[in-house]
Amino acid sequence: MAMTAVARETVFALRRQIAKIEGTLPERLQAPAGAPPDARITASADLTIVRRGLAATLPDAFLPVGVERLDAALSGGLPKAALSEIHGQETRDAGAVAGFALSLASLVLKQAQGLPVLWVGTSEIFHEAGFPYARGLHAGFGIEPGQLLFSETPKLADALWVAEEAARMTALAAVILEIRGNPQRLDLTATRRLHARAMAAGRPVLLLRQAAAPEPTAAPVRLLVAPAPAAPRATVAGPLAGSIGRPAFTITIGKSRTALPGQFTLEWNPDEHAFDERRGDERRGDERRGDERAGEDRRTANPVAVVSLSRGRKDPAAAPGAVLAFPAAGAPVTIPPAAGDQSSRQQRATHLGPRRAG
Amino acid sequence: MISHRDSNAQRISALDERAEALHLKPGMGIADARAMHPSIDIVEADPEADRRLLEGLADWCDRYTPLVALDGIDGLFLDVTGCTHLFGGERAMLDDILSRFFQQGFDVRAGLAATPGAAWAAARFCGDRIVVSGEEETLLAPLPLAALRIAPETRASLESVGLRTAGAVLAAPRAPLARRFGASLLLRLDQALGRLDESVSPRLPVAPLSVERHLAEPIMQTDDIEQLVGRLATALKADLERRGEGARALALFLFRVDGAVSRIAVGTSRPLREPRLIRRLFHERLTALEQTIDAGFGFDLVRLCVLSVAAFDMQQGDLAGEVADDEADIALFADRVRARLGDGAVLKPVPVESHLPERAVAIVPFSETPRRTTPPKRPGRTQAPMTIFPPERPIRLFRAPEPIEVPATEMPEGPPLRFRWRRALYRVTRAEGPERIAAEWWRQAPGDAAAATRDYFRIEDADGRRYWLYRQGLYGGVSPVPPRWFLHGVFA
Repeated sequence: MAMTAVARETVFALRRQIAKIEGTLPERLQAPAGAPPDARITASADLTIVRRGLAATLPDAFLPVGVERLDAALSGGLPKAALSEIHGQETRDAGAVAGFALSLASLVLKQAQGLPVLWVGTSEIFHEAGFPYARGLHAGFGIEPGQLLFSETPKLADALWVAEEAARMTALAAVILEIRGNPQRLDLTATRRLHARAMAAGRPVLLLRQAAAPEPTAAPVRLLVAPAPAAPRATVAGPLAGSIGRPAFTITIGKSRTALPGQFTLEWNPDEHAFDERRGDERRGDERRGDERAGEDRRTANPVAVVSLSRGRKDPAAAPGAVLAFPAAGAPVTIPPAAGDQSSRQQRATHLGPRRAG
Repeated sequence: MISHRDSNAQRISALDERAEALHLKPGMGIADARAMHPSIDIVEADPEADRRLLEGLADWCDRYTPLVALDGIDGLFLDVTGCTHLFGGERAMLDDILSRFFQQGFDVRAGLAATPGAAWAAARFCGDRIVVSGEEETLLAPLPLAALRIAPETRASLESVGLRTAGAVLAAPRAPLARRFGASLLLRLDQALGRLDESVSPRLPVAPLSVERHLAEPIMQTDDIEQLVGRLATALKADLERRGEGARALALFLFRVDGAVSRIAVGTSRPLREPRLIRRLFHERLTALEQTIDAGFGFDLVRLCVLSVAAFDMQQGDLAGEVADDEADIALFADRVRARLGDGAVLKPVPVESHLPERAVAIVPFSETPRRTTPPKRPGRTQAPMTIFPPERPIRLFRAPEPIEVPATEMPEGPPLRFRWRRALYRVTRAEGPERIAAEWWRQAPGDAAAATRDYFRIEDADGRRYWLYRQGLYGGVSPVPPRWFLHGVFA
């Protein structure tokens, strides 16, 4: 028994090596249906699952998006050391496409502290879709201006060269390459070069393609991003009518070796720098989301969610002591006078009261 | 034959040997020359091209000494102090210069002396002569007055009193000469004889460090040049280490066999001395310039100069001898990209204290930020207070706000109901705003069109795209220009 286990491990290790040489993407299968959902997230390092004869790798090869359904569909998240394509249907969707890519970059930066993000683009796309605005990126995605590098080249060939050189660097947290349309130069070979370098360096390369039709590339994952109407802002008195809340995107999995096609509406939380999924009624998404999360996050539904609660800590409202003195409105207030609770009139600050001249 | 225009008449300014043989002289009118010899070929003078040629020659003369100065329109000064032994002595060097110029098709005269004045006279009036230090007087004595580099008026007045050679002037008593002809005559005399120092100001700054290699066989391939750069940089590294410095700017000079000189410069974001990295920088630069550098018959001298240096911080590596320095990697990456694609290829944003959106971030070429040695300044009273809810800012901003057509708004000061941008019509479903941003009045002249107040709206269209629009100007304001609408940015 022990012998077979060791042999199996050896075989898996060899397969992993072969997969790395061949440039096959690491894959991970969904955990068995019976397993608790947490087991997938806290999968131990020696978890290896075989799929179609290829060895899977460790769970940290993936960048979890943070939305359970999408992560499950992508079998663990976006591959971290790979080229990922993010498509936008039209140039005017550039805001949504760039926003989604930046939120991914923001997720990467959570793990790679302090490293810069390089954004490579041709002059054409920066002219057509606007130049990235550092103030907005800082406010919305927590990317400091000092962490941003841009590269603007008039020619596509130069942009590809810069991206290739950047993709092999481990000193960059992520490389974003933005291209418009379906140029001839960005073919299977060019994307394969980018992919190979990204795999070697272990850093993600996000290929943003504005107004491009899907075509065969070496990228293992292609996501189609479209803008989605934002939910209204949440206030104390409920959703504020006519206001524009957090950025929302509609993500469609266009190509993935493991995933089934699916569509997801994600909402980016600029306060926590995390994604939330929105299902069903868009306009009332905020309230619904609160209900859904109540169980899984061990957090009580807080009707006053003007500012996002921090996710890392326990909700302070959930674990207070005994709440004593909040009677229902309209009920007669009968608080028994407790000795230590209320001070009598005589005891109370004699120096404050008007002193009678004796 | 070359003509030039002088006081409303075409005159001969320069002519070749065959024209000289026809008894033509410089300064003669073109009409006269044509009358004498109708078949002569006349070219208009081009002083600009002459100057370019002379500068090209000066570049080429860099191979003998870094101190090369232009002398008028037809001469070069080379300060070869301490350089002659590299070429096998003064005689050998002069022969080398003359033969190489001859091979390039130039007819040059050269003189070598201890003082610039004597060398000038030797070159122009003797030709190919080396004057030993102390013999300047014997050289000058038989020469005409023109050999003294004096103004034509002084020369004419000297001749009018019967002093026709330099020797005669030298023999004359000094005090009357100075009184009658001014101090400049004596100055020139003293400079020529070495009694006074004369400095030749070189046309290019002298590099602090430079290494070069003369090649017996000219090289043409870019790979060979790169390999040579690597070797030169290795030689440079020892010098840089001794000085405790690193290079901030480097230049590579390629001397072509036929006299053309290519200068290739690269800059670095942080001091550099590693030969491997220097070679990679030049690799990018040479790749970018592959089309423009013409190797011709090859380069026979390659020189690597350090144009500017900066103190080099030593770094402690770990036991494996590796230094993990992400910043250095990024600096090198940026240098390589800039060497290939120009300075503007790698940019970084710098926040600026301004409330105008387009001015709040400056995009500047990448450069290494100096390491902060002092703790950051405490926020003083001048800093604007932080707001709890910072204003929403777009993630992309158009370089120039794009004008949009707004047919109607619900309220005069309100957001548009629909607008037309890039010929497409958008229906506004929701809008937030306005956020009023006034111009920076302390920067703009009153009445400037750009100084109008802007009201920004954050709007969402029917498909969920979010834009940042603004209306420039106010309705019913004092300005006669009606308000105009612009689209300034897009949100995520």
